[in-house]
Amino acid sequence: MHRFLFAALSLAFFLAPAVRAEEANVSVQLVSEQARIAPGQTFTVALKQTIKPEWHTYWANPGDSGTPTAIEWKLPAGAKAADIQWPAPARIPYGPLVNYGYGDEAVLLIDITAPADLQPGSNFALHGDVQLLVCKDICIPEDATVSLNLPVDAKPQANASAAKLFADARTKLPSKSPFAARIATSGTMVRIAVDTGDARQLRDVTFFPVQPERIDNAAPQKISASASGLTIELKRAEGAKPDNAALEGVLTFKDESTGKDAAMRAIQFTAQPGMVAAASGGTSTLGFGEALLFALLGGLILNLMPCVFPVLSMKALSLARGAQGDAAHRRADALAYTAGVLATFTLIAGVLLALRAGGAEIGWGFQLQSPLVITALVYLLFAVGLVLSGVVSVGEGLAGMGSSLAARGGLVGSFFTGALATVVATPCTAPFMAGALGFALVQPTPIAIAVFEALGLGLALPYLLLGFVPALARVMPKPGAWMERFRQFLAFPVYATVVWLLFVLQAQSGPIATTSVLAGIVLIAFAAWAWDAAKYASTRGRMVGATVAIVAIGAALFLVRGVDDEAAATPTAAATASDTVKWQPFSQARLDALLAEGKPVFIDFTAAWCITCKVNETVALTSDVAREMEAKGVVPLRGDWTKRDAEITRVLQAHGRAGVPLYLYYKPGSREPVVLPQILTTESVRSLLQSS
Amino acid sequence: MRTWILAGIATLALTGAAQAQTFGQGVAVGAPAPAFTAVDVNGKSVNLADYKGKTVVLEWTNNGCPFVRANYDSGAMQKTQAAAKDQGVVWLTILSSAPGTQGFLTADQAKADIAKEKASPTAYLLDPDGKVGKTYGAKTTPHMFVITPEQKIAYMGAIDDKATAKASDHPAAKNYVTAALQNLAGGKAPDPASTTPYGCSVKYAGQS
Repeated sequence: MHRFLFAALSLAFFLAPAVRAEEANVSVQLVSEQARIAPGQTFTVALKQTIKPEWHTYWANPGDSGTPTAIEWKLPAGAKAADIQWPAPARIPYGPLVNYGYGDEAVLLIDITAPADLQPGSNFALHGDVQLLVCKDICIPEDATVSLNLPVDAKPQANASAAKLFADARTKLPSKSPFAARIATSGTMVRIAVDTGDARQLRDVTFFPVQPERIDNAAPQKISASASGLTIELKRAEGAKPDNAALEGVLTFKDESTGKDAAMRAIQFTAQPGMVAAASGGTSTLGFGEALLFALLGGLILNLMPCVFPVLSMKALSLARGAQGDAAHRRADALAYTAGVLATFTLIAGVLLALRAGGAEIGWGFQLQSPLVITALVYLLFAVGLVLSGVVSVGEGLAGMGSSLAARGGLVGSFFTGALATVVATPCTAPFMAGALGFALVQPTPIAIAVFEALGLGLALPYLLLGFVPALARVMPKPGAWMERFRQFLAFPVYATVVWLLFVLQAQSGPIATTSVLAGIVLIAFAAWAWDAAKYASTRGRMVGATVAIVAIGAALFLVRGVDDEAAATPTAAATASDTVKWQPFSQARLDALLAEGKPVFIDFTAAWCITCKVNETVALTSDVAREMEAKGVVPLRGDWTKRDAEITRVLQAHGRAGVPLYLYYKPGSREPVVLPQILTTESVRSLLQSS
Repeated sequence: MRTWILAGIATLALTGAAQAQTFGQGVAVGAPAPAFTAVDVNGKSVNLADYKGKTVVLEWTNNGCPFVRANYDSGAMQKTQAAAKDQGVVWLTILSSAPGTQGFLTADQAKADIAKEKASPTAYLLDPDGKVGKTYGAKTTPHMFVITPEQKIAYMGAIDDKATAKASDHPAAKNYVTAALQNLAGGKAPDPASTTPYGCSVKYAGQS
């Protein structure tokens, strides 16, 4: 039943002399899995191509050139032929081009459904006109007619001699992927994440796009395997739309966890738009040990960042008080503070990871993207400020500020100081920290939590040292009357923090909500006064004072109702008064359009609550830089992450970051950005602009 | 300022620019058409910039490629060329086959080929080192580009909607280049502005 293929006779006359029409480069053969078929039966046939060495035929998506094999069926009335089931292809490089196809042998499977009204004893005839393109250094279209004549029988019978052919062919068919896959496009980079679980034993991983013209076929594929899955970094095809549509693809790999000589496997999936973290294990990302070290250093440096200062000032005060205490108490105090820091980091990291696991596109600093959290911090810090100012004295103060340094109250206070320090520290990103957190967010939960814990340990480290190294404690100044005044002074940085939080709130929720919260502050001050005024009164007087205080606080909380994320005004971080650079709002579409024109682009990813961002914008992105940008025709874009923004989160992820700030610079005509450090100086920015 | 000290501490490495990948880099619909100069079959140097103010069509060819053959043997390509030239469009046929590969022609052979095919390009450019082809990311023969008078890419992709090497398919096919030129003449953007090019791979040097 073998039919051999002939080159198209009509074309043979015109072909170059090297092409011999009489000698086909591919022989095709049609084989049925059933020796006898039943009426109405759906059965499978195989189109087996035997291809001359070094020649190739093509997959459904042929890649940069080529044409897939096509079969035009001529079947009896009522019979149906399904689409070709394509075996997983191979990459066929060709100079600067890459095609997808088959060498040596390819078996294409097709399901045929026989009509139900076939008469047993009759014959079922299949005819197919096969057109295929076969290429080596040159391409030749060849065609052939294949046919089969199958007896119809009430009892179908398998074709035993073809069993192996079909079994082998089916191992080469991509199976439906049991793993979820996501796609994220950033500039010209396309990342696909496949949740295979531990992928570190997978070898020879290759991705094949089913849709043409989406992926640059010839660009190298960067595969990263981690304990949680695979990340495949691809390049967007030139001229492809810069959108992030779902992409269907086939993935081939060897799973060496099942043995060194594991067979090639192929799975097929549709990657849905979603978040894909930067590939781990690549050159720009960290290993676990490095991430831990960077997190520890980042935490340590965090102590010097402006947002943590007010809380640390309180801690410094309690240390000064504790300096004269006994060593055991100092140690207990340091441990309580550390525990507070670590517990809070674990809590925030846990919530963050859980929300991300649920599909939320959020990153580090997400807590401060909620106006309710900001409001709670405003109230809390304002109350702490009142305590420091002495408006109200709290015996066992929240922050351990009370007049009595009773051991128990002091420890609880230290714990909460640690918690507070952590929450207030989140808007600051310190050097080293961003890389570590970017790493953490793409790791399995225990590893991610470990990185967060290392960060917390770094934050708490100076106090641990003070607690455990007596020599250091002795250097602390002697307590005395100055401490009262120092305590009152420390209220001012705390009030300043409240003002800053109100600025953030105003950017998120607009002036009405901010005014409500300002009124709430007055109520809290009133509650503090009522409480304190009644402190030395009769029992009944104290009751009245406490009731008034509780009602006032209740009213302050009631006002929070007005704080609504939905009613929010447009975030204003994009247009603060001190701006000298003429920022335009960032969008991926705008960026792609500018890059397509070959324009240089500087992007500032910022947020109203990000102090590091604000410092950079004031200190480094000065009018000098603005002039430099204008002179060089650099288009400045600003991405405002004050509120949740999935598009910006994706860009941050693509650069291995968990939060802002992030500064990117695209040189003229370049589609690969330079990533600037998180701490900018005017000089560093200017020299970068001048270098291009 | 603390920040300045921290700037010193911050030793985060800059991500290096990606490896140079020049093949078709930056060629996209709406993007500027990359400049090029090439020598034509008469030994004359042709510069794309010379045609500023005119619509330009680039056609990658290889007379041994069955897909190119089908388009010429049916007369479809010559018809498209002639119609374009009647509208004042500049038609540049470009041959990027490297010496020793399919379709490579010397200047004289190419001249003879133009005559034999009764083709009428404004110029037939020889690109044996594949420089122009690689700049544009020309993948197949025939691979077509339409460039606006402002020298931006208006269309890139296939010549028509019949990705076959069968001559009889092409005269009746929907010709994307003809449609793109019509739209441009009417002040509209081509639709589609981009299609998947079909055909043989361009026979660049350094292949098997």
